[in-house]
Amino acid sequence: MSDIAKDKAARLLKKRGSVSSLSSHEVRAKEIIGKNKDSMSTVSYMDEPGHEIPRLAIQLENTYQLGPAKRFPVVTVNNILKDVLTNYLQEEKYEAELCRQMTKTISEVIKARVKDLMIPRYKIIVIVHIGQLNEQSMRIGSRCIWDPASDTFSSYAFKNTSLFGLANVYAVYFE
Amino acid sequence: AVPNMYVCEYLFVNQNVSSHSNSAIESAIGGNAYQHSKVNQWTTSVVEQTLSQLTKLGKPFKYIVTCVIMQKNGAGLHTASSCFWDNTSDGNCTVRWENKTMYCIVSAFGLAI
Repeated sequence: MSDIAKDKAARLLKKRGSVSSLSSHEVRAKEIIGKNKDSMSTVSYMDEPGHEIPRLAIQLENTYQLGPAKRFPVVTVNNILKDVLTNYLQEEKYEAELCRQMTKTISEVIKARVKDLMIPRYKIIVIVHIGQLNEQSMRIGSRCIWDPASDTFSSYAFKNTSLFGLANVYAVYFE
Repeated sequence: AVPNMYVCEYLFVNQNVSSHSNSAIESAIGGNAYQHSKVNQWTTSVVEQTLSQLTKLGKPFKYIVTCVIMQKNGAGLHTASSCFWDNTSDGNCTVRWENKTMYCIVSAFGLAI
């Protein structure tokens, strides 16, 4: 019985769909909120706060599952990241327009390949950074609040003579 | 009967995430010039402050916060993210902050449990 509920939940999740950053009309709000005399900040959201009408919560049935049935395969995903980044970036030189499209394409490709692994009940976040190598220094860091028993991440950094690429995949179990 | 719940309070967007991120950035690095020796501690403190303010809200959400700090050197940087989640309850917020010597980009993702 719980299998049917599990399938239903997985299908519901999949039907929810994924937002493609390729179609950037999804980024709706963009406001400049701070401007001190020596710093400036811009904010962008997926949806504007207060914009959405409160929606009915969809009650999912109990699955009586305490943890994930199938864990997220970190090593497989590491290989996927390595594969995708090397294939797309090996020969490229840094160019603003090319890399802008490239980051969006790569993140979509990685998401599609991770989805193909069909790990049930996991939400996926893929973040790709591509930057120019110009003798500048930079630091990229992230922290997460989640359940370390079921949630995990995977990461790969690629470098060639003119650019670097970093891909992070976070997998969060949907209880 | 199953109660009907209006999910207003569970929507990620209603958590005013941008102000938390912004205040974390300002307190950690506002008014400073880029310093290689300090950048490690800055990224850590920005991310930890944002996360702790988000957790104080006490919502049933898992959070992922990413911070990029880059020296201003004429180099370009592109970032994209692709997410597979429930559009009705999950969301993200990105704050781009800059001053004369560096850029700081903080992205916060929230996923409903």
